Amino acid sequence: MRITVKLFATFRDGRFKVREFDFPEGTCILDVIQPLNITFDEIAICYRNGKDAKSDTVLDDGDTLALFPPVGGG
Amino acid sequence: MIIEDRYRRNKKTITDEDQQTLANSSVAIVGCGGLGGHIAEQLARLGVGKLVLIDGDRFEVSNLNRQIMATEHNLGQWKVEAAQERLKIVNSEVRVDAIKNWFQEDTGPELLRGVNLVCDALDSREARVMLERVCHQMNLPLVYASIAGWYGQLGVSLPGDFSVQWLFGRGDKGVEKTWGTPAFTPGVLASLSVAEAIKILTGHPPSLRNAWLQVDLLTMEFERFEIK
Repeated sequence: MRITVKLFATFRDGRFKVREFDFPEGTCILDVIQPLNITFDEIAICYRNGKDAKSDTVLDDGDTLALFPPVGGG
Repeated sequence: MIIEDRYRRNKKTITDEDQQTLANSSVAIVGCGGLGGHIAEQLARLGVGKLVLIDGDRFEVSNLNRQIMATEHNLGQWKVEAAQERLKIVNSEVRVDAIKNWFQEDTGPELLRGVNLVCDALDSREARVMLERVCHQMNLPLVYASIAGWYGQLGVSLPGDFSVQWLFGRGDKGVEKTWGTPAFTPGVLASLSVAEAIKILTGHPPSLRNAWLQVDLLTMEFERFEIK
Protein backbone atom coordinates (compact mmCIF):
# COMPACT_ATOMS: atom_id res chain seq x y z
CA MET A 1 0.00 0.00 0.00
CA ARG A 2 1.07 3.59 -0.67
CA ILE A 3 1.88 5.83 2.27
CA THR A 4 2.85 9.49 1.85
CA VAL A 5 5.20 10.89 4.47
CA LYS A 6 5.52 14.65 4.95
CA LEU A 7 8.28 15.95 7.19
CA PHE A 8 8.41 19.44 8.68
CA ALA A 9 11.02 21.81 10.10
CA THR A 10 14.24 20.10 11.21
CA PHE A 11 12.94 16.62 10.34
CA ARG A 12 13.66 17.59 6.72
CA ASP A 13 17.37 17.97 7.43
CA GLY A 14 19.20 15.12 5.67
CA ARG A 15 15.89 13.47 4.76
CA PHE A 16 13.17 14.90 2.51
CA LYS A 17 10.11 17.14 2.46
CA VAL A 18 7.57 14.70 1.08
CA ARG A 19 7.96 11.16 -0.22
CA GLU A 20 5.76 8.19 -1.10
CA PHE A 21 6.56 4.72 0.22
CA ASP A 22 5.28 1.21 -0.38
CA PHE A 23 4.50 -0.72 2.80
CA PRO A 24 2.82 -4.08 3.40
CA GLU A 25 -0.70 -4.29 4.86
CA GLY A 26 -0.74 -3.96 8.64
CA THR A 27 2.05 -1.38 8.75
CA CYS A 28 1.81 0.95 11.73
CA ILE A 29 3.28 4.44 12.22
CA LEU A 30 6.27 3.08 14.14
CA ASP A 31 7.19 0.88 11.13
CA VAL A 32 7.23 3.97 8.93
CA ILE A 33 9.34 6.24 11.13
CA GLN A 34 11.94 3.65 12.18
CA PRO A 35 13.69 3.50 8.77
CA LEU A 36 13.75 7.33 8.82
CA ASN A 37 15.74 7.26 12.07
CA ILE A 38 13.01 9.20 13.86
CA THR A 39 11.81 7.97 17.26
CA PHE A 40 8.26 8.64 18.35
CA ASP A 41 9.60 10.60 21.35
CA GLU A 42 11.16 13.12 18.97
CA ILE A 43 7.78 13.90 17.41
CA ALA A 44 5.67 16.69 18.87
CA ILE A 45 2.79 16.28 16.44
CA CYS A 46 1.99 13.15 14.45
CA TYR A 47 -0.84 13.65 11.98
CA ARG A 48 -2.45 10.86 9.98
CA ASN A 49 -4.66 12.44 7.32
CA GLY A 50 -4.80 15.68 9.34
CA LYS A 51 -5.68 14.09 12.66
CA ASP A 52 -3.68 13.17 15.73
CA ALA A 53 -2.39 9.58 15.65
CA LYS A 54 -0.54 7.23 18.01
CA SER A 55 2.63 5.26 17.28
CA ASP A 56 0.80 1.92 17.00
CA THR A 57 -1.90 3.23 14.65
CA VAL A 58 -2.23 0.83 11.71
CA LEU A 59 -2.23 2.64 8.38
CA ASP A 60 -4.45 2.29 5.33
CA ASP A 61 -3.56 2.54 1.66
CA GLY A 62 -3.38 6.18 0.59
CA ASP A 63 -2.74 7.57 4.10
CA THR A 64 -0.63 10.66 4.58
CA LEU A 65 1.55 11.07 7.64
CA ALA A 66 2.74 14.54 8.68
CA LEU A 67 5.46 14.68 11.35
CA PHE A 68 6.50 17.82 13.26
CA PRO A 69 9.40 18.14 15.73
CA PRO A 70 8.99 20.22 18.89
CA VAL A 71 9.77 23.90 18.33
CA GLY A 72 9.93 25.76 21.63
CA GLY A 73 12.35 28.69 21.40
CA GLY A 74 11.49 32.33 21.94
CA MET B 1 4.64 63.46 24.12
CA ILE B 2 1.47 63.49 22.02
CA ILE B 3 2.49 63.71 18.39
CA GLU B 4 -0.28 64.44 15.96
CA ASP B 5 -0.04 62.34 12.83
CA ARG B 6 1.88 59.63 14.67
CA TYR B 7 -0.56 56.99 13.46
CA ARG B 8 -1.30 58.56 10.07
CA ARG B 9 0.36 55.72 8.15
CA ASN B 10 -1.71 53.10 9.96
CA LYS B 11 -4.78 54.09 7.93
CA LYS B 12 -6.90 52.58 6.63
CA THR B 13 -5.59 49.32 7.99
CA ILE B 14 -6.26 50.60 11.51
CA THR B 15 -9.20 53.01 11.62
CA ASP B 16 -9.44 55.97 14.02
CA GLU B 17 -11.85 53.93 16.11
CA ASP B 18 -9.50 50.94 16.18
CA GLN B 19 -6.61 53.24 17.06
CA GLN B 20 -8.59 54.53 20.03
CA THR B 21 -9.39 50.96 21.06
CA LEU B 22 -5.67 50.13 20.97
CA ALA B 23 -4.88 53.18 23.09
CA ASN B 24 -7.31 51.87 25.70
CA SER B 25 -5.90 48.34 25.54
CA SER B 26 -3.36 46.53 27.67
CA VAL B 27 -1.21 43.59 26.56
CA ALA B 28 1.09 41.38 28.62
CA ILE B 29 4.15 40.02 26.84
CA VAL B 30 5.55 37.04 28.69
CA GLY B 31 9.20 36.64 27.77
CA CYS B 32 11.22 39.59 26.56
CA GLY B 33 13.83 37.87 24.38
CA GLY B 34 13.85 37.30 20.62
CA LEU B 35 10.09 37.17 20.13
CA GLY B 36 9.05 39.36 23.07
CA GLY B 37 11.34 42.26 22.18
CA HIS B 38 9.99 42.51 18.63
CA ILE B 39 6.40 42.09 19.84
CA ALA B 40 6.85 44.87 22.40
CA GLU B 41 8.44 47.18 19.84
CA GLN B 42 5.59 46.71 17.37
CA LEU B 43 2.78 46.98 19.91
CA ALA B 44 4.33 50.22 21.21
CA ARG B 45 4.60 51.64 17.68
CA LEU B 46 1.00 50.58 17.05
CA GLY B 47 -0.06 52.59 20.11
CA VAL B 48 -1.30 49.89 22.48
CA GLY B 49 -1.88 51.95 25.64
CA LYS B 50 -0.22 49.70 28.17
CA LEU B 51 2.33 46.93 27.92
CA VAL B 52 3.28 44.61 30.75
CA LEU B 53 6.69 43.04 30.03
CA ILE B 54 7.56 39.99 32.11
CA ASP B 55 11.04 38.43 32.09
CA GLY B 56 13.45 37.49 34.87
CA ASP B 57 16.57 37.57 32.73
CA ARG B 58 19.36 40.04 31.96
CA PHE B 59 20.98 40.64 28.59
CA GLU B 60 24.08 38.67 27.68
CA VAL B 61 26.35 38.62 24.64
CA SER B 62 24.56 35.67 23.01
CA ASN B 63 21.34 37.73 22.84
CA LEU B 64 22.84 40.29 20.45
CA ASN B 65 22.27 38.12 17.37
CA ARG B 66 18.49 38.48 17.51
CA GLN B 67 17.03 40.36 20.48
CA ILE B 68 16.09 43.83 19.29
CA MET B 69 16.27 45.38 22.79
CA ALA B 70 19.82 44.09 23.36
CA THR B 71 22.76 46.36 22.52
CA GLU B 72 26.46 46.30 23.30
CA HIS B 73 25.75 49.03 25.84
CA ASN B 74 23.11 47.29 27.92
CA LEU B 75 24.63 43.84 28.48
CA GLY B 76 23.91 42.82 32.06
CA GLN B 77 20.81 45.00 32.27
CA TRP B 78 17.37 43.52 32.99
CA LYS B 79 15.73 42.81 29.64
CA VAL B 80 12.41 44.35 30.63
CA GLU B 81 14.13 47.47 31.97
CA ALA B 82 16.10 47.96 28.75
CA ALA B 83 12.91 47.46 26.76
CA GLN B 84 11.09 49.98 28.93
CA GLU B 85 13.80 52.58 28.29
CA ARG B 86 13.75 52.03 24.55
CA LEU B 87 9.96 52.04 24.25
CA LYS B 88 9.78 55.28 26.21
CA ILE B 89 11.65 57.05 23.41
CA VAL B 90 9.76 55.18 20.68
CA ASN B 91 6.30 56.06 21.97
CA SER B 92 5.98 57.97 25.23
CA GLU B 93 2.18 57.68 25.05
CA VAL B 94 2.53 54.00 25.93
CA ARG B 95 2.82 52.97 29.57
CA VAL B 96 5.28 50.12 30.02
CA ASP B 97 5.36 48.04 33.21
CA ALA B 98 8.60 46.10 33.60
CA ILE B 99 8.31 42.94 35.72
CA LYS B 100 11.80 41.65 36.55
CA ASN B 101 10.67 38.15 37.35
CA TRP B 102 9.74 34.85 35.74
CA PHE B 103 6.09 34.19 35.08
CA GLN B 104 4.87 31.65 37.62
CA GLU B 105 1.56 29.93 38.08
CA ASP B 106 0.95 31.27 41.60
CA THR B 107 2.03 34.88 41.06
CA GLY B 108 1.17 35.11 37.35
CA PRO B 109 -2.54 35.93 37.67
CA GLU B 110 -1.75 39.13 39.60
CA LEU B 111 0.55 40.29 36.78
CA LEU B 112 -2.13 39.67 34.15
CA ARG B 113 -4.88 41.46 36.06
CA GLY B 114 -6.48 44.11 33.86
CA VAL B 115 -4.80 43.14 30.58
CA ASN B 116 -6.91 42.41 27.49
CA LEU B 117 -4.59 39.93 25.80
CA VAL B 118 -1.42 37.94 26.45
CA CYS B 119 1.46 37.22 24.05
CA ASP B 120 3.43 34.07 24.72
CA ALA B 121 7.07 34.79 23.90
CA LEU B 122 8.54 32.20 26.25
CA ASP B 123 11.34 29.78 25.44
CA SER B 124 10.25 26.70 27.33
CA ARG B 125 7.48 24.39 26.26
CA GLU B 126 6.46 23.58 29.84
CA ALA B 127 6.17 27.28 30.71
CA ARG B 128 4.02 27.88 27.63
CA VAL B 129 1.54 25.22 28.71
CA MET B 130 1.40 26.72 32.19
CA LEU B 131 0.86 30.24 30.79
CA GLU B 132 -2.06 29.00 28.71
CA ARG B 133 -3.60 27.41 31.79
CA VAL B 134 -3.40 30.72 33.67
CA CYS B 135 -4.79 32.67 30.69
CA HIS B 136 -7.75 30.34 30.38
CA GLN B 137 -8.44 30.60 34.12
CA MET B 138 -8.50 34.38 33.72
CA ASN B 139 -10.59 34.26 30.54
CA LEU B 140 -7.82 35.93 28.52
CA PRO B 141 -7.00 35.40 24.84
CA LEU B 142 -3.47 34.17 24.16
CA VAL B 143 -1.35 34.54 21.03
CA TYR B 144 1.53 32.05 21.06
CA ALA B 145 4.60 31.68 18.88
CA SER B 146 7.71 29.53 19.03
CA ILE B 147 10.90 29.42 17.02
CA ALA B 148 13.89 27.21 16.22
CA GLY B 149 16.38 27.72 13.40
CA TRP B 150 14.53 28.53 10.16
CA TYR B 151 11.25 27.41 11.63
CA GLY B 152 8.36 28.63 13.71
CA GLN B 153 4.86 27.88 14.88
CA LEU B 154 2.12 30.32 15.71
CA GLY B 155 -1.49 30.32 16.78
CA VAL B 156 -4.24 31.74 18.99
CA SER B 157 -5.73 30.06 22.04
CA LEU B 158 -9.01 31.41 23.33
CA PRO B 159 -10.33 30.31 26.75
CA GLY B 160 -11.10 26.61 26.70
CA ASP B 161 -9.19 25.85 23.49
CA PHE B 162 -6.01 24.43 25.09
CA SER B 163 -4.21 24.64 21.76
CA VAL B 164 -0.84 25.25 23.44
CA GLN B 165 -1.24 22.16 25.62
CA TRP B 166 -2.05 20.23 22.46
CA LEU B 167 0.82 21.62 20.40
CA PHE B 168 3.57 21.80 23.02
CA GLY B 169 2.53 19.09 25.48
CA ARG B 170 4.56 16.33 23.84
CA GLY B 171 7.94 15.51 22.36
CA ASP B 172 11.48 15.84 23.60
CA LYS B 173 13.17 19.15 24.27
CA GLY B 174 12.69 21.65 21.46
CA VAL B 175 14.99 21.48 18.44
CA GLU B 176 16.08 25.10 19.11
CA LYS B 177 18.67 23.61 21.49
CA THR B 178 20.65 22.39 18.48
CA TRP B 179 19.43 24.78 15.76
CA GLY B 180 19.58 28.04 17.69
CA THR B 181 17.58 31.13 16.75
CA PRO B 182 18.94 33.53 14.10
CA ALA B 183 17.61 37.11 13.84
CA PHE B 184 15.09 36.67 11.04
CA THR B 185 13.00 33.94 12.66
CA PRO B 186 11.88 35.85 15.79
CA GLY B 187 11.31 38.93 13.61
CA VAL B 188 8.88 37.06 11.36
CA LEU B 189 7.06 35.15 14.08
CA ALA B 190 6.76 38.24 16.29
CA SER B 191 5.21 40.19 13.40
CA LEU B 192 2.71 37.41 12.77
CA SER B 193 1.87 37.34 16.49
CA VAL B 194 1.26 41.08 16.53
CA ALA B 195 -1.03 40.88 13.48
CA GLU B 196 -3.18 38.31 15.28
CA ALA B 197 -3.06 40.32 18.53
CA ILE B 198 -4.25 43.51 16.82
CA LYS B 199 -7.20 41.71 15.26
CA ILE B 200 -8.30 40.35 18.63
CA LEU B 201 -7.85 43.71 20.39
CA THR B 202 -9.91 45.54 17.77
CA GLY B 203 -12.71 42.99 17.78
CA HIS B 204 -11.90 41.15 14.57
CA PRO B 205 -11.78 37.36 14.56
CA PRO B 206 -8.24 35.93 14.73
CA SER B 207 -7.22 33.75 11.78
CA LEU B 208 -5.42 31.01 13.70
CA ARG B 209 -7.90 29.77 16.30
CA ASN B 210 -7.92 25.95 16.63
CA ALA B 211 -5.14 25.94 14.06
CA TRP B 212 -1.47 26.73 13.83
CA LEU B 213 0.73 28.24 11.17
CA GLN B 214 3.83 26.20 10.37
CA VAL B 215 6.51 28.59 9.15
CA ASP B 216 9.52 27.40 7.18
CA LEU B 217 11.83 30.25 6.17
CA LEU B 218 14.27 27.87 4.47
CA THR B 219 11.69 26.93 1.81
CA MET B 220 9.51 30.04 2.40
CA GLU B 221 6.47 27.91 3.08
CA PHE B 222 3.68 29.04 5.38
CA GLU B 223 1.23 26.22 5.96
CA ARG B 224 -1.87 26.20 8.14
CA PHE B 225 -2.89 23.08 10.05
CA GLU B 226 -6.12 22.53 11.91
CA ILE B 227 -5.97 21.29 15.48
CA LYS B 228 -8.18 18.23 15.73
